[in-house]
Amino acid sequence: MSLTPYHELKARERIAVIADAGSFREILPPPERVMSTYLPKLGIPVSFDDGLAIGHATIGGKPVYLAAQVGQFVGGSVGEVHSAKLVGLLKSAARDKIPCVFLIESGGVRLHEGSSGEIGIAEAIRAVFSCRAAGATTLAVIGSDIGAYGGMGILSSCCDFRLMTEHGRLGISGPIVIEKWMGKQAFDSANRALVWKTSGGKTRYVLGDADLLVNDSADSVRAGIISFLSKSAKPDLAMVEARQASLEARLEKFGQISDPDEIWKTCGITDIAAASLAEAEDFAKSFHPQNS
Amino acid sequence: MTTADLLAHFFGASATGITISNKIATGYAKVGDQDVCVIGTVDGTYIDNAAALQMSEQVLDCVRSKPGVPIVMLVDSEGQEPNRTAEMLGLPVYFGHLLTCLQVAREAGHKLITVATGKAIGGAFICYGMFADSIYALDSATVGLMPVEAMSAVTKIPVAILEELSKTLPALEFGAAPFALLGGVKAVWPTDETLADKLSAAIAAATPEDTRAALGKERGGRPQAYDVQQRVLAESAR
Repeated sequence: MSLTPYHELKARERIAVIADAGSFREILPPPERVMSTYLPKLGIPVSFDDGLAIGHATIGGKPVYLAAQVGQFVGGSVGEVHSAKLVGLLKSAARDKIPCVFLIESGGVRLHEGSSGEIGIAEAIRAVFSCRAAGATTLAVIGSDIGAYGGMGILSSCCDFRLMTEHGRLGISGPIVIEKWMGKQAFDSANRALVWKTSGGKTRYVLGDADLLVNDSADSVRAGIISFLSKSAKPDLAMVEARQASLEARLEKFGQISDPDEIWKTCGITDIAAASLAEAEDFAKSFHPQNS
Repeated sequence: MTTADLLAHFFGASATGITISNKIATGYAKVGDQDVCVIGTVDGTYIDNAAALQMSEQVLDCVRSKPGVPIVMLVDSEGQEPNRTAEMLGLPVYFGHLLTCLQVAREAGHKLITVATGKAIGGAFICYGMFADSIYALDSATVGLMPVEAMSAVTKIPVAILEELSKTLPALEFGAAPFALLGGVKAVWPTDETLADKLSAAIAAATPEDTRAALGKERGGRPQAYDVQQRVLAESAR
């Protein structure tokens, strides 16, 4: 039992509370010293796991492949080794037809490794779809402060399912980048309420981008993960046609508005202040997501 | 070169079947005798939620009405413009949808071929072009994560240092040739009258296996990726 806030945990602590006790076996653990050759050339400290712990485990008795990004190391960013570990894990999951669960905490491609990490993310996206084609569930768990941005935001959106907490954010450009581009008037990156209502778990759940919204506790996240392990969402024409229609409708309906509260209201949330303060699971129960 | 010239190089007179709207190209054309579906960005445009939907709609139309017709993706996009409304509406989800549509096409037997024709930068390349079976670039294309100036602005590492390092680390260099050394594109094409033949041969040769990591190792630009992937696969099988 653990009520520890999930967002406060580090990668291996997350694995410890999510996986069945003692079940995690790490692949290429830190003693193997599989790490970046770019960072030393730039005078930046390396990490013996390149900011990613991967391995196999059981969760609720079910075998899974599990990956956890280390946000404290270069923002959980994805370089050559980091992405290759992700790709190897995904290909293992597709081969063995068992679920692959990502505990995501990443700003996206590691700029210090240039196009290498970019290609690595593109390979990982191909591998996500190999899993989906094989019926091996891919689940993105987004509940850290850093969230899932850039290429990791895109990769997360390619998985069968997304589980989020209120703390998790799913996006491409982060608030500081947008503020620099559009100006503080348009987006004040220090306005935490607006930042989280733009990309955070509640808004993503309201719009149907997160399949499940759970409380920010290790137990809630674990229970949420277990609920997906026997499901998969193999893409087919009917599925993407329905999605095309709903994403068009979303753009039509909300394309001209800038206030996320308007989205919440349109989706049937009447008391914005109360909904903002509500625990994630109470919030989720209070209305039916649009699935749009 | 104008967009019309470029399209004529690839598709000849059949380029009239391609419509350009909001700098997004969609339609059907011919490469030699081969019917193809075309999606793409032109003039270095930014790609946004609506652009992604325009392209995904074309992919769906192709899957519904032109069984097995190869899909050619042209990339000339600066990236995504940082925009709060786009993010609020779920930009990554729109990109993920476009990729999922391409996967549905792949599984239905459509070959996917990309040519980076201009700017092929960051997320704009990831969200469709880099998903192809085979990826090519014109020698004039600017391909990569970002120019060293932009890299320097974010990482705080001086431009001079990044430029010096990029001489031995193609991952840090910006362009079609270094990207090919990483395995990110199969071949770099000169912009000349052989383009249609090259594209035609590329379509014929395309298979869905992702060989980029092996290519990156063979060409020396991405020395670690392939071996690390293989090690994980070997360890996980034990």
